[in-house]
Amino acid sequence: MPNPREIKRRIRSVKNIQQITMALEAVSASKVRRATAQALSARAYANMAMQVLTNIASTSGSISALHPLLQSREQIGTVTICLITSDRGLSGAYNTNVIRVARQFAQHLGRPVRWVAVGRKGRDALVRLRENVEAEFIGLPAWWTIDALRPIRQVLVEDYLKGYADEVYVAYTEFINTLTQKPMVLRLLPLAFDEKSALSRPDYLKMMEKPESSVADYIFEPSASAILEEIVPKFVENILLELVLESQASEHSARMVAMRNASDNAKALAEDLTLSYNKARQAAITAEILDIVGGVEALRAQEAREAEAARADGKA
Amino acid sequence: MANSNEVQGKLAQILGAVVDVEFPPESKLPDIYDAIRVPMQGKDDLILEVQMHLGNHRVRCVAMDSTDGLQRGMAAYATGAPISVPVGPPALGRLFNVLGRPIDGRGPVVSDTYYPIHRPKPDFGDLTTRPEMFETGIKVIDLVAPFTKGGKMGVFGGAGVGKTVIISELIRSVATVHSGVSVFAGVGERTREGTQLYYEMKDTYRVIDSTVMVFGQMNEPPGVRLRVALAGLAHSEYFRDQGKDVLLFIDNIFRFSLAGSEVSALLGRMPSAVGYQPTLANEMGNLQERIASTKVGSITSMQAVYVPADDYSDPAPVATFTHLNGTIALERELAAQGLFPAVDPLASTSRLLDPAFVGEEHYNTAREVQRVLQRYKDLQDIIAILGIEELPAEDKVLVARARRVQRFLTQPMFVAARFTGREGRYVPIKETIRGFRMILNGELDHVPEQMFYMAGGIDDVIERYEEAKAKGEV
Repeated sequence: MPNPREIKRRIRSVKNIQQITMALEAVSASKVRRATAQALSARAYANMAMQVLTNIASTSGSISALHPLLQSREQIGTVTICLITSDRGLSGAYNTNVIRVARQFAQHLGRPVRWVAVGRKGRDALVRLRENVEAEFIGLPAWWTIDALRPIRQVLVEDYLKGYADEVYVAYTEFINTLTQKPMVLRLLPLAFDEKSALSRPDYLKMMEKPESSVADYIFEPSASAILEEIVPKFVENILLELVLESQASEHSARMVAMRNASDNAKALAEDLTLSYNKARQAAITAEILDIVGGVEALRAQEAREAEAARADGKA
Repeated sequence: MANSNEVQGKLAQILGAVVDVEFPPESKLPDIYDAIRVPMQGKDDLILEVQMHLGNHRVRCVAMDSTDGLQRGMAAYATGAPISVPVGPPALGRLFNVLGRPIDGRGPVVSDTYYPIHRPKPDFGDLTTRPEMFETGIKVIDLVAPFTKGGKMGVFGGAGVGKTVIISELIRSVATVHSGVSVFAGVGERTREGTQLYYEMKDTYRVIDSTVMVFGQMNEPPGVRLRVALAGLAHSEYFRDQGKDVLLFIDNIFRFSLAGSEVSALLGRMPSAVGYQPTLANEMGNLQERIASTKVGSITSMQAVYVPADDYSDPAPVATFTHLNGTIALERELAAQGLFPAVDPLASTSRLLDPAFVGEEHYNTAREVQRVLQRYKDLQDIIAILGIEELPAEDKVLVARARRVQRFLTQPMFVAARFTGREGRYVPIKETIRGFRMILNGELDHVPEQMFYMAGGIDDVIERYEEAKAKGEV
């Protein structure tokens, strides 16, 4: 029979955990709406920006020569991978999944990697794995803005422009719906088409796709180089913003679902424990009653025997 | 009918297994624990054992067989001595009941030495302890609850978690390589198991010639089950006093307590906690204190202890705990997960597990195994609620190793081979320690955990892994 006091202690600790998970669930539920809305509106904007870039790149080969971020390099040496995770845990497999995919991808490339960690969880994991972390951004803002994003963009673009890296990738989590999030890797730089066929890529890897046919023909005023100088960095920023917002929406959704499951598990565990507590308590009560009743009966039998013996003695 | 020194009396009352006998006023009443003989027609004499003096020249006795066919007024003879059993070399290879009568159908046993089943414990000055380890070949037992030569070990467990399998495995691995004498006392367990063991000892292990077996199984009246362990003990004591090293197996000591409780109730004693006899601790003490090693010879005993309703706080197992050098606790939860032998490494201990006796390496490995498993147990609630993903990285590693340790603690048993289809494995203690060290050091973190399940030594695991790797499965 388990010790009732021990069970009671466990019930208390399970209930404490349940309170925390329920509170976190409620907080995430309120955040998830805003984060989802932001991600979805950013997605439309980023898709459009991507389309414009695609169009520019496909109109003429010569235009890509006008901006360094549009040029792909022939020799690929080191690459930079930016890993977007959260600062906080209790979000189910959210961080683990994206870290796993990012490392899988790094292995797939088989090249030296400069890691840029966004979020404490990713940083901790990379440091523990003794990876080469070039830059880290922790203490992330509650809500992302372009301004908050600027230092990250600067690091990534500089890595590329200064030639520390020949490609820049971002590992993030794509928000599909509240229940499903998909860890993905996107090639951020260069903003050029992938030369290889899409079939040879791992399914988590995204790149700029060559359109089937050219859609638009642009006229640049005052000049192509002036326009590109202005818009390309902005587009990079916008794409990056979309990725962090997707990740953020995924994080809150993952946390909400994980915490709901945790609360349910805690509830079930607490119920099980309460049942065994009640059983143990009742068993103890029953044992005591049996002891008392048994004792009383035995005493009564003994008294009867003694009385009989006394009678027999009296007769004798 | 009566022998010259016997006192004749007559049966005065028969109440199931309890019989009152009245003696003539002028004669001396038989002592407590003396045997009384009741001649029966066409059967062996029925033996009664005196338990109480009632007054009016009556004694109250417990019957050592069925009381069917008894009548008031029948003649009974006080033999003037306790129940005695033939001991010594003629008893080897034979199968007895509690009265020392052979039940293997191979004729009577004639010995020049008879021991009463009630005997004093050895003198304090004669006792010795030799802190020397006794290898069993079962990983979990050798690691966390090593056996002592000349010591007493208890195998505790609820119904159907594998006590008898462990005792049988120990008999197989220990009795077959043991050079001395083995005594098996079957107390209140299944007759089928007793028969099976007898034939295994005789035909499979071929050690029956150095074995004495005494049975009083669950079909017998309480008086028999209360005394049969003492009969087995008398055999062990004889060989010990001859300077031999004796192995004594008792399955199951709880039935002894239970029989004591039945007898106590039949005698009209007031029940104590949980309905047990008030003399529980005393009865157990009298039995256990006799299982002792002296300067002359040793008795190493292994006892199965049934734990009613898996409640380790029940008075009967509690009364047994204190007498033992070590306990092997079987846990239903482990059995339910298929982790056999279902020994709980956190609840099992041995006094021998001390760096002074088993060495630093063994001690540290055992404690480390326990620490890792304890931590895993502590984390289990968190894993159940939040999932394994939420654990800090070090704890994740620890949980992975704990699960490997848990699986590596399992082992196929020789005696269970025909149920599991796996041949048993004997693992020397050195191999056991090396294996657990490797797991704890993280040298095998890459090997999938199911490969540790039901393995022998760690080399088996590595071999399995290499095989799977060659086939491209990992």
